[in-house]
Amino acid sequence: MSGSSGGWRASLGSGLASFTVIAAAWELGVVAGVLNPFFTSRPTAILSALVEQALTGALLVNVRVSLGEFLLGFGLAALVGVVLGVLAGWYRTVEYALDPFLWFLYSAPLIAFYPIFVIWFGLGAWTVVAIAFLLGMPPVMANTLSGVKRVDRSLVRAAQSFGARDRDLFLHVALPACVPMVMAGLKLGVGRALTGVVIAELFGATAGLGFAIGYHGQLLQTTEMMASLLVIVALGVAATQGLAGLERRFDSWRTGPG
Amino acid sequence: MTSPPRWAVSCLSVASVLAAWELAPRAGLVDVTYLSQPSLIVRSGIGIIATGALWRHAAVSLQEFFAGLLLALLIGVPGGLALGSSRRMRRFLDPPIMALYAAPRLALLPVLVVWLGIGLASKVAVVFIGAVLPIVINGAAGIREVEASLVLAARSLGAHRIDLFTKVLLPGSLPAVMAGVRLGVGRGILGVVVGEMYVSQVGIGNQIMQLGSSFQIDQLLFYTMVVSVFGLAATTAVRRLEERWRPWSRER
Repeated sequence: MSGSSGGWRASLGSGLASFTVIAAAWELGVVAGVLNPFFTSRPTAILSALVEQALTGALLVNVRVSLGEFLLGFGLAALVGVVLGVLAGWYRTVEYALDPFLWFLYSAPLIAFYPIFVIWFGLGAWTVVAIAFLLGMPPVMANTLSGVKRVDRSLVRAAQSFGARDRDLFLHVALPACVPMVMAGLKLGVGRALTGVVIAELFGATAGLGFAIGYHGQLLQTTEMMASLLVIVALGVAATQGLAGLERRFDSWRTGPG
Repeated sequence: MTSPPRWAVSCLSVASVLAAWELAPRAGLVDVTYLSQPSLIVRSGIGIIATGALWRHAAVSLQEFFAGLLLALLIGVPGGLALGSSRRMRRFLDPPIMALYAAPRLALLPVLVVWLGIGLASKVAVVFIGAVLPIVINGAAGIREVEASLVLAARSLGAHRIDLFTKVLLPGSLPAVMAGVRLGVGRGILGVVVGEMYVSQVGIGNQIMQLGSSFQIDQLLFYTMVVSVFGLAATTAVRRLEERWRPWSRER
């Protein structure tokens, strides 16, 4: 364990180093006149824009709106995805019945439902939540499904021969065994749900980070646009890292390669 | 363990959903303006095909998609393989690549529009940015996952660096690269549609946005279905290639 945390610290160090080099090159490019700051902005300006947005409170409002929509949409996606995935993984008939719809959700450009959701839910937070849900749900469901299906049959048989009922089997054998797959699905879903939030806000909202990007983009304010973009990148990294941490914690009892 | 066959259950469930969707507006349970109906979608689809509108918009979207994907392949495949072979490059480039990979890259759309305008170029760039990262990341992982014993064996039998690359590392990482391409195709298709929905004058995404704002849900859903079928066909095609190019790996 100590080795892995040391590796984490080293990768954080090299990460900071490489971001510093990129930012320095960017800034120097602007100073040397190679890059046009009207199009690319510059790191120092973006940083001061971030500080300014933080001081006026605009940053906090946008982050709060986006984060709230994301948590609600992704929370629903995780809940529905896990429930449907478990049902479909446990009962074969349910799997066969839901399979075509899962395929459709995977291959459809789900953002295309944005105009329909606007008609249903109006222009605002609920449409954003619905898009985040729709995008985040399929990977959670698909991974849970295959996780439950792949539960070791010999474990199931062993538990049964010791007198486990369906409920015990489910709670004590199937559920713990499919945790890694579920977590992998959640990790995929996080990214997609965040994408859903940002795009839905970009298309039409009154607040949020995606809204800020679109708003400043239309005014050609590259610096403010980049500042919001930076916050979104940070949110994405934080969400994925948070889930990875959760995964390590839930999966720490597992021994050996698995 | 006798359960009804898969196709029967699947067909039955799709048929019953379609039937409920068709009947609910007729029974007055929901407003057809908000939900449309399968029969309406089919009818408007025939209209869209007959007037040639489908092909006019699809041609533009396809052009953008394939241009972006080609760029992503040309840069992503060599880039990923190089990244996988060089530890020093990886140490420097991994953090920004992973940060971009974790972030919703479609958020770059307004920036790309400012840089490249509202025409073809910004959509090609969106497809490229969506597709290139999975290709790079999988390619790099593929190179590193080539079995060390194979590399050692080749080396001890006197393989040069070039031989090692073309005969061991390249074929060994091909399945991973193709898996990346499959992910990239999906991202690219989403990128075209979203890019056109954001700002454009022509294309399927443009139609989806316009039809949505004029409440023509049946036509909108027809376009959505067309893109879904295309997405399904494209990913299936890449998956076939993926399977064909890994005959030497007996397992998995």
